Amino acid sequence: MLRIWRRIGRLAASLLALALAVIWVFPVYWMVNSSFLPNTKLSAATPAFLPFGGSLTNFKLVFTHGNFGAALKMSLIITGITVVFTLLFAFLAALAISRYKFKGRRSFVLAVLFIQMLPAEGLFLAQYTMIRDMGLMNTGLLNTVIGVSLIYIAAVVPFTVWMLRGFVAGIPADLEEAAMVDGLSRTKAFFRITFPLLAPGLVASGVYAFLQAWNEFTVALVLLNQENKTLPLWLRSFVQQSSQHEIDWGQVMAASTLVAVPVIIFFLFVQGRMTSGLVAGAVKG
Amino acid sequence: MTSHSPEAGQSGKTSAAGTSRLAAPDAAGSSDAQGNGASAVRLRKRAGRTGRAHRSGRGRTFRWTPYLLIAPAVGILLLALAYPIGWQLVTSFKEFGLAQQFGQPAEFNGLDNYIKIVTTGETWMVVVRSVVFCLVNAFLTVAAGTALATLMNAVPKAVRLILQVALLLAWSMPVVAVMTVWNWLFDWNHGTINWLLVQAGAEGYSRHNWLENPLSFYGVATVIIVWMSVPFVAFSMYAALTQVSGEVLEAAQIDGANAWQRFKGIVVPMVRPVLMIVLLLQIIWDLRVFTQIRMLQDRGSFPSETDLLGTYIYREGVGASHFGMAAAMSVFVLLITMVAAWPYVRSLMKEETI
Amino acid sequence: MKKLTGLAALATAAALALSGCGGSDKPDGSSGKDAGDKELTLWLAGNDTNDDLRKYLKDEFSKQNQGWTLKIETIDWGDLVTKLNTSLPDAKNSPDVVEVGNTQSPTFTNVGAFMDITDMYKELGGDDLLQSFVEVGAVDGKNYTLPYYFGSRYMFYRTDVWQEAGVTVPKTLDEFNNAVITITDKNPRGIKDFSGFFLGGSDWRNGVSWVFANGGDLAKKDGDQWVSTLSDPNTVKGMKQLQELQQKASKAPADAKDQSPWLYINDTDEASEENSQTTNTALAAATIMAPGWAHWSIGDPTIGADGQPARNDGGVIIREWNPAKFGVFVLPGNDGKPAPVFAGGSNIGISAKSQHPEQAKSLMKIIFSEEYQKMLGGAGLGPANSQYVSSLGDDEFAKALVDSALNSKLTPAAPGWAKVEAAGLLDEFFGKVAQGGDVAKLAKEFDDKITPVLNNG
Repeated sequence: MLRIWRRIGRLAASLLALALAVIWVFPVYWMVNSSFLPNTKLSAATPAFLPFGGSLTNFKLVFTHGNFGAALKMSLIITGITVVFTLLFAFLAALAISRYKFKGRRSFVLAVLFIQMLPAEGLFLAQYTMIRDMGLMNTGLLNTVIGVSLIYIAAVVPFTVWMLRGFVAGIPADLEEAAMVDGLSRTKAFFRITFPLLAPGLVASGVYAFLQAWNEFTVALVLLNQENKTLPLWLRSFVQQSSQHEIDWGQVMAASTLVAVPVIIFFLFVQGRMTSGLVAGAVKG
Repeated sequence: MTSHSPEAGQSGKTSAAGTSRLAAPDAAGSSDAQGNGASAVRLRKRAGRTGRAHRSGRGRTFRWTPYLLIAPAVGILLLALAYPIGWQLVTSFKEFGLAQQFGQPAEFNGLDNYIKIVTTGETWMVVVRSVVFCLVNAFLTVAAGTALATLMNAVPKAVRLILQVALLLAWSMPVVAVMTVWNWLFDWNHGTINWLLVQAGAEGYSRHNWLENPLSFYGVATVIIVWMSVPFVAFSMYAALTQVSGEVLEAAQIDGANAWQRFKGIVVPMVRPVLMIVLLLQIIWDLRVFTQIRMLQDRGSFPSETDLLGTYIYREGVGASHFGMAAAMSVFVLLITMVAAWPYVRSLMKEETI
Repeated sequence: MKKLTGLAALATAAALALSGCGGSDKPDGSSGKDAGDKELTLWLAGNDTNDDLRKYLKDEFSKQNQGWTLKIETIDWGDLVTKLNTSLPDAKNSPDVVEVGNTQSPTFTNVGAFMDITDMYKELGGDDLLQSFVEVGAVDGKNYTLPYYFGSRYMFYRTDVWQEAGVTVPKTLDEFNNAVITITDKNPRGIKDFSGFFLGGSDWRNGVSWVFANGGDLAKKDGDQWVSTLSDPNTVKGMKQLQELQQKASKAPADAKDQSPWLYINDTDEASEENSQTTNTALAAATIMAPGWAHWSIGDPTIGADGQPARNDGGVIIREWNPAKFGVFVLPGNDGKPAPVFAGGSNIGISAKSQHPEQAKSLMKIIFSEEYQKMLGGAGLGPANSQYVSSLGDDEFAKALVDSALNSKLTPAAPGWAKVEAAGLLDEFFGKVAQGGDVAKLAKEFDDKITPVLNNG
């Protein structure tokens, strides 16, 4: 009797989970579905839930429209630099505050927490002046990339320090010490033992940094000019241009899909580590 | 927010040891509490040892090592933030508008900007709205995320994977794309949601305008923000839940603890630190929410009725070019957030973890 | 740490390599302005200046300035103020010549963002230039920005639906008001939520015509102070008329702005369907008020060779005006003459921080030359110089554009006007009126809010 109830409960839970999965995936599905459909279908009184009669026309139009390739490249470069340096800097700092006791440690941790509470909306004038005075504006692509990345890294590092700190603290120093007793150098012990255990933490923080840099809009608007737009700028200008005439939802959705695809690829790439890693890594910890 | 009983490191060991402590050992928050939720719980087992690790004076190895380690992070924060934050502080005491931006000297006006802020009725309305909105969203997000995490724990692997992929896809959608899609779903003219409601028999929703009424506007914003934020919470909480050792639960069952006692005595204390950190982060993030509100306002509503702190600062700064006021407003918001978060931070400090 | 640093170095190198290969279209990252290639930057707002016009400017500029090229950057209207706030005061990165919305012009000219070009005024057209636009670009009798192009607003209507409802083109404002209410009541095609006249509740740029037509205004200068005049009896009278329309003739939401009203007057988007059913009709309004250039977005879709709606290079569906269905007229005032409408359009000027004033002036001369002015007219944009207005052509659009423009007005040239707009105060006032609020009370409330902003430069 009890077993039957349990089964029913399990079944109900599964159905609920599937229903929730549908709810969460629906807007994503809607975006992708619409991107294949002509505007005529999309502005119809009855929504088109399936991409029947769909085509790649929207994507073709979107590609010819703005300079998508250049924006994609710009976004990839800036996001890549941001992720790498954020992880490096934040990891080192996390190591310091979870493994060492030193003067100023508490101030550092508090500062890192409070920085996150500062509203960013009023900062852009000063950020502009600063980047310009550093000579990082309109002095070539490389400088431009460095300027934007600099601001992004500083924006993401605080959260990442906090996140990684938990992961580092979770790895028992004993393990490392044991390895050192076995004759490994401190550095070697660290890389053989501790570093692999940190992978899920680095992945999780990396995802966060990736999303922040990929989505940022205001700083990019202020610092970048037309030739080196990032994808959010490209997408927004696309939406604005479209709405000057008749909003072509199909094209706007195709453009949105294109912006989302690299993130989805990145996520699928790290997904194994994300879900299982985040979890299993923690269990094994 | 909450004040834990300061039991520092030892609690971890005890609870890991088994059922002996069914009374909430909530100080587990200790070192793990600030970390990412995912890892945090695992730390409970280690808390004692790690705690010892840094108390036992690693200093003997290299005195300068920790400073070298934080140097890059401190360096980049100083490099990128010192000037803007300093500028903001100084400007908040100035009469600084477009004319000053175009080269006229900016004069200090003492506390004028701040006085104006605290004496303007609208500011306090925006503050109250933002705080309520932030709390509602943060708690809803954490509740929904926890519920989803619990569900993940209870379903077969295949179903769990489907749910996880769905959440990942939602998480991976760029904000501008998210807002475009949701704006369209809620569009008054061609919106799918109105269409679905009409199909379901609610005729009145044909061409219903969701954004005009402020409450309804916030409802839409809440749906979108919760939808966007839940994946992070769900994954963190799921990680936390999987920390709860099956053996421990079994042992407790053998000892005669019923389901509720097991939940309250073992599961809750185990996930509590993760829950608290996730909640803190959500509150910080939801208090400064900007893009979603701005992009909804672009579509409809009267801004003065729907402004939250982020858009209010933006309107004051970019829109009206009152950069001095906007700077003062930002500092004001920072102070509010610090005050709100202070009890939590203090409890962390008591536990000697920061 | 070695390995870790190595890893980071590797990633950085990869990122830089990636940026390196991108550098190929721009030979070397450092080819900036100081590297010797002489470049003048022009910022155009939005896409109203079409590709032909841009090409002409570039070619002509290079021809007249040996060794120079013209770089044109498009700034979206929504981002223009943000970009101007940061770049315009920055000598190193300022664009040289800039288009600004005519309502934004006073704010920037008052803070000295533009160069004094009074000495060129005569040469660029002098008193032939559209004077209301010249005024918003002038401070204390000196000229800083000049009109670039103007647009005007008139009515687009469905001749077929008007006929079915038994109403004719109105001669006075009252007739218009009654006609659109009649159409809404009769709703000859039985379309759900049909508007005789579709007007977004917060769409003050179009709605303000009812205020102007009744002798009201938004603000006036009293001595050296600007005062918001929403409570003026004439303004209130106009707003009450508008409120009646908003409630009885328009089904647009009260918070709708002036975004693309033409979507509601087109018949259908269904041209590509084989069995072109009309069940998916988009038609929702018999009349709209819109800037003249909206006529490119009104009509029936043309079918391309592939059986799909034909599109232009920008991916926008090309529509063909169908005189059997569509018509235009100018909103009549109480006296039967055209009612004053709010002029659209923009101004153009040289950044005060421009490093190349000579060349910038040369570009200004090209823009105000007869040839370019006529090209503007040919593209459906009202040329700044009234001598060339005939270049707009003599079709019904040109006629309606010119007729309505003759009696057009601009927003007050108050220093704080752009802020009134940015704060959305008028959108909100009109929207609250559309919701059915007490006009006099709202007018008082918003006067109190707007007046201080007007004078705060």
